[in-house]
Amino acid sequence: MQPGAEGLWESVTRRGFLSRYAGGIGGLALADLLASGEPRAGEIGQASDFRTAFGKAKSVICLFQHGGPSQMDLFDSKPALRKYHGQPYPGGKLEVHFDKQKGNVLGSPFKFARHGESGIELCELLPHTAGIVDDITMIRSMKTDSVDHESALRLIHTGRFLAGMPVWGSWVVYGLGTENANLPAYVVLTDPGGLPVDGERNWSSGWLPAVYQGTPFRSGNTPVLDLKTPADLPDRARRNQLKWLEEVNLRHLKRHPGNTELEARVKNFETAARMQTAVPELLDLSQENAATRTLYGLDDPATADYGRRCLLARRLVENGVRFVQIYMKGQPWDTHSNNAESLKGLCATTDRPSAALVKDLKQRGLLDSTIVIWTGEFGRLPISQGTDGRDHNRHAFSMWIAGGGFRAGYTHGATDDFGYESVQDVVTVHDLHATLLHTLGLDHRKLTVQHDGRGTSLTDADVTGAKLVPALLA
Amino acid sequence: MTLPHKLTDCPYRRREDRATDRAAGWRLGGVLLILGLISQGSLGWADEPAKFDVAIAPLFKERCVKCHGPAKAEAELDLSTAAAVVRGGENGPIVVPHQVDDSLLWERVVADEMPPKHPLTADEKARIKAWILAGAPGLPARSSKGDADHWAFRKLAPVQPPSVKNEDVTRGPLDRFIEAALEREGGSLAPEAPRQRLIRRVSLSLTGLTPSPADVAAYLDDKAPDAYSRMVERFLASPRYGERWGKYWLDAAGYADSNGYFNADSDRPLAYRYRDYVVRAFNADLTFDRFLREQLAGDELPGYEPGQPVTAETADRLIATHFLRNGQDGSGESDGNPDEVRVDRYTALESCQQIVASALLGLTIQCAKCHSHKFEPITHEDYYRFQAIFAPVFPAATDSLWIKPQARFVLAPTADQKRQWDRQIRAADDQAALLQASLREWASKNRPRGEVVFLDDFESDAPLKPRWSNTAPTDDKPGGSPPVTVDSDKAPAARSRNGRLEVIAGTTFDSWLTTTQSFDWTPDHPGESIQATFDLVDTRLSAQGKSAERVGYFLATHDFDDSGKLSGGNILVDGHPTGSTSVLADYPGRDATPRGAIGRTGYVAGRNYGVRVTNVDKGQFRLEQLVDGFPEEGAITLAAGDLPDGGFGFEYHADRSFVVDNVRIERFGASAESDRSSIAARDAEFGRRQKELEAARNQANGLKNAPPFKIAWATDVTPTPPETHLLERGDYARPGKAMAASPLSALASGGASFASQSPAGGRTTGRRLALANWLTDPNERAAALMARVQVNRIWQSHFGTGIVATPENLGLSGAPPTHPELLDWLAFEFVRSGWSVKRVHRQILDSATFRQSSDAEPSAPTDDRSLGRFPAVRLDAETIRDCMLAVSGELDTAMGGPYVPIQATGDGAVVVPDSQPGGLRRSIYLQQRRTQPVSLLQVFDAPTIVFNSLRRPRTAMPLQSLALMNSDFVRARAKAFASRLEREEPDQAKRIPLAFLTAWSREPSLEERQAATGFLDEQSRLYGLGAEGRNKAWVDFCQSMLMSNEFLYLD
Repeated sequence: MQPGAEGLWESVTRRGFLSRYAGGIGGLALADLLASGEPRAGEIGQASDFRTAFGKAKSVICLFQHGGPSQMDLFDSKPALRKYHGQPYPGGKLEVHFDKQKGNVLGSPFKFARHGESGIELCELLPHTAGIVDDITMIRSMKTDSVDHESALRLIHTGRFLAGMPVWGSWVVYGLGTENANLPAYVVLTDPGGLPVDGERNWSSGWLPAVYQGTPFRSGNTPVLDLKTPADLPDRARRNQLKWLEEVNLRHLKRHPGNTELEARVKNFETAARMQTAVPELLDLSQENAATRTLYGLDDPATADYGRRCLLARRLVENGVRFVQIYMKGQPWDTHSNNAESLKGLCATTDRPSAALVKDLKQRGLLDSTIVIWTGEFGRLPISQGTDGRDHNRHAFSMWIAGGGFRAGYTHGATDDFGYESVQDVVTVHDLHATLLHTLGLDHRKLTVQHDGRGTSLTDADVTGAKLVPALLA
Repeated sequence: MTLPHKLTDCPYRRREDRATDRAAGWRLGGVLLILGLISQGSLGWADEPAKFDVAIAPLFKERCVKCHGPAKAEAELDLSTAAAVVRGGENGPIVVPHQVDDSLLWERVVADEMPPKHPLTADEKARIKAWILAGAPGLPARSSKGDADHWAFRKLAPVQPPSVKNEDVTRGPLDRFIEAALEREGGSLAPEAPRQRLIRRVSLSLTGLTPSPADVAAYLDDKAPDAYSRMVERFLASPRYGERWGKYWLDAAGYADSNGYFNADSDRPLAYRYRDYVVRAFNADLTFDRFLREQLAGDELPGYEPGQPVTAETADRLIATHFLRNGQDGSGESDGNPDEVRVDRYTALESCQQIVASALLGLTIQCAKCHSHKFEPITHEDYYRFQAIFAPVFPAATDSLWIKPQARFVLAPTADQKRQWDRQIRAADDQAALLQASLREWASKNRPRGEVVFLDDFESDAPLKPRWSNTAPTDDKPGGSPPVTVDSDKAPAARSRNGRLEVIAGTTFDSWLTTTQSFDWTPDHPGESIQATFDLVDTRLSAQGKSAERVGYFLATHDFDDSGKLSGGNILVDGHPTGSTSVLADYPGRDATPRGAIGRTGYVAGRNYGVRVTNVDKGQFRLEQLVDGFPEEGAITLAAGDLPDGGFGFEYHADRSFVVDNVRIERFGASAESDRSSIAARDAEFGRRQKELEAARNQANGLKNAPPFKIAWATDVTPTPPETHLLERGDYARPGKAMAASPLSALASGGASFASQSPAGGRTTGRRLALANWLTDPNERAAALMARVQVNRIWQSHFGTGIVATPENLGLSGAPPTHPELLDWLAFEFVRSGWSVKRVHRQILDSATFRQSSDAEPSAPTDDRSLGRFPAVRLDAETIRDCMLAVSGELDTAMGGPYVPIQATGDGAVVVPDSQPGGLRRSIYLQQRRTQPVSLLQVFDAPTIVFNSLRRPRTAMPLQSLALMNSDFVRARAKAFASRLEREEPDQAKRIPLAFLTAWSREPSLEERQAATGFLDEQSRLYGLGAEGRNKAWVDFCQSMLMSNEFLYLD
């Protein structure tokens, strides 16, 4: 329950209100939109219609791998590619993005082996992921609708091709609220080197209010914008100033009794002040012991930055943050040239910390309530681009997902012999959204908001055909 | 290839009966929840018989219209509008007022036959029953098919303001609509607000700025009966008004300073001219019909003749067409396969359509891209007829006609501008020429001179043979096919004429002319050098000729044949007109290898160019560029093998003719130690003069490249464009039948079409002009809808919410109007008065509705939409920033011009530093980059523009509190505010009232004054005594004022 949210608006659920108000969401008092969505006594039932009985997961960490990781070099072994290596593609029509640089079949130079009790097959570049295979669901039959980075990023983040829609994190927070009002409910951890491709749109709340937007925690001295009190303002003076401000605001409020928006604004200064101490404490990794720091690879320059974000993600969900997204700079997995060498470097950066996060969550008993997603926006082609690269492919990609009620040690679906197209138990990005919401206890058909004259949802199942994939569930 | 991903945006692609199992949005329980939360009976049917538009239409819309709507109309029954409901379906009328049992509607519903599968809930049934029993209020008496059924699609007609019980509280007809509705709920307009609050309200509403203390004082002192109206006029006449209301329009038009779409989000350097046009238009109260006609078809209106000088008015019309290209456009950076490039182009076209439809007509048309709209009377065909209007500007389907955004401009100077610009350029060119001549003279006196081993000054016009040849000295095969004809003018050709050498290029590539003499290009000892120079007389043969893109020449020519045995040699020096000369060895052919770049000065007529080869020991040779005989930085190193003995020559490359003179090859010994310093001094003097010349030339080029009359316009790329095809299911790869440009059928009056009537000059199709005429013709229903949409948005900007809460959608699926007759009255008056926006403001601002108090009376609760009090509305992001600058006394009121650039800071914030030129200007002038909104503005809900923004959320978030508490911007304003107060009022006791007046536009009460004094004393004590502590306390006090709700809200 949100601390400090007592008061007259405690008794109503704004989300229920929002989802029904045909006029949309402008002009409302929105400060408490983050109130937890737990059904409460005396509440009108339908306000939480979208909650289902299922779903034990409470939070999500998405390790987003921008650029389109190469499925046939990492997760989806294709001996046929080695057999036909260097020959014209024998598998029929290919949709090629950079069609002028279309090459011949490109076999993977990496060895694959089976791991763990589940025997999930992985390439040699992922020794640490090999150690957690029995905790993950490997999906080899993903599919999306665009080969353009930006559009595909929007599809997996928002379910739509065009920009301007709310991302999945916003929908999850809209559905579940937050458990710690001193922290943003939806946090984004970006690369100290820069933003990913498509930047802030990857965590934009679109037409949902900005309160559902991902809040980037930066890696420098000010993780949250304007978090630090100005240097020339000592604590005592700041406290006295805020006290005075409250007095001023309460005097103004007398002219507007019952105006919840103005009241919320008064309270927000308290919340903001609490955030000022809560966030730096959370980000202080010196509280972690040496074993944990080593586990995440903080002592190795290759893994330190990415590992730090993985460790922060764990601390965030431990403290009630609902949705965390980790990004890398640019789109590192976009291996149009020098595919094999690039993959070596990328795996050296990400393999260890990604696996560490799953291990660490598990040993702390948090994996049941936390979903970890490792995915990019699309996959790559079985042929080369130029001599040694791979071009974009929307017809197949692989991803893994762990915890939160997903079926551990399970491989789902398959692609054709060349890894070009998902052919068995195909999972669209919309199916992924539906299943993800389900594990969080949210009904994707009912989690809607009135927008542009209709109830809009993340999956828009009637159009996209999004469906729950029960086989993915434990 | 098909592109199904585009379809996933379309909510109604499948025909399956959808969503009836979705939680029905308008169940009674939910509605009561709304009423309990924000309002008491604002929707008008809590305790009186529900009207159709308010109570029943939403229910039908949610539960019935998908099958019984304008698109599907099963059983010929359309439940989307009141008129259609009256008409009934194939089984006749469905509602008999007061008679539940005789009403077919009730029969089907109560038997759970309709809707099939998911019958209505008990609450929903109760609503319908109550409505029928009450006589089905809200249904018109009769209707016939073909009428404009939907309220917003009807023609405008005079509206009689209703009578009210309490005449005294009204000031004009507008108030009667509000008061009548309030009285039905037992309420009434509130008394007039205090005068200080009125001036603050008017000032913020019209200019987006707080009134100055002097403004407030002047108004309070003005006891004349018309003081209020004159105060309104003062703000309407302020240039700040156009900035405020221009910004609303720019949001509606989707204005941005970047192209968006791709991550690059490339720049739109000329968009600001459109922004400035909009501000000018609002300040001048350009009539709205003209404003629209200029934006839709400014290029088709009389006045513009290509190549002719324009008037300022015509230039404005061309600038106005930028409206059409505000949408995202990635086509300048498109890569990928042709299908993807086509998607990128179509996005620009569709964005234009969507912005026009939502901003002008309040319609959501995008559903109809794939199929006829399920909720709106917009067909699949309509969408493409509408598209055909804009397709000549954005010919997305035709590669060869597409123009990338950076090339979509016109040069349209006024006569004065052209004269002035020509004069400026002439002056700049003259200055450069003067400097060049002087440098040339100096250089010819001071340049180093060596032993001349070859010189041709072409003085005698003697035949070039035998000194020159089209074969290299050691070869007998001429270079190129056809080879250069020496001593002829049959291109490619070389001849000596007027004492100069003419290099006459043909249309083929890679021929040459070289000396028959061979030279040793590798001087024997370190420090020794050989150089080849020539005067570049002209870069074209005649004044009409095209300037050569390169001036290429060769060293060490030995063998043109690419398959020859010799490697090395044939060093091509490829002089570029704007600098950086590239060097290739073993040119031409596949084995030619780039060896880097030398020099930095461009090859322009009137100077002497060349290269020098110097032995730098150990078999290495430095190659550097010479300009007027002096070496430039940026040498490359060659090996002896690169420089075999050979001739010197000129390259003949397609269309690159030029004229040279004084080809001179000289040899130099190593310079003596004692000469070094004088050589250095001489080189330095050359460098200084050269820089001076470059600066002058850059200035001239800068002027030429950015003429003040370069306009980023939109126009038809051809008057005879290819046909526009309907796309089956919106798929770009499946064009269907050709569609003619014509009005949306739901708004068309008989037979209107936008058939091609090319305006005078025949440059365009005339389609957009036809659209503009249709939209602004008061006899057209389209104009009525357009007027409603505009006055609704004006209302929204004054009161926080529109009469229709969904300004982007006045169609059937939009929100119902709270005061439909008022909206029609305002729209009718707007059109009748000749489309004056300022007149609409006057009507609203003079009303008792606007002038009433915002104080809530606990005893008579009301809500913000029925307007029983003035609603407290948070200022928008830009207004917050601008007002802080106004209050601190720092606001820079400079108007117009290129945007003030934003900066991304190391910690991820996007800011405009105070110290940057223009850093303290109004927010409208800050760079509006789609992917990088200014952080302070974004946190207060400034939109990231995707298409456009017709209303904004107004959130209250802790992140806003953090920005107010800790941001550099707010803290800096607080300090400046404190300094301003100290400057203006030395007496601290009097400073408190001045602070109140400046920030909140009012005097403090005695109690507030004491409390403020108390805070200042306490805060000073915390800082420690003394003047410094007191000053700090003042800063904190000032910041509190800027953080306060009283500052952040218009009330």
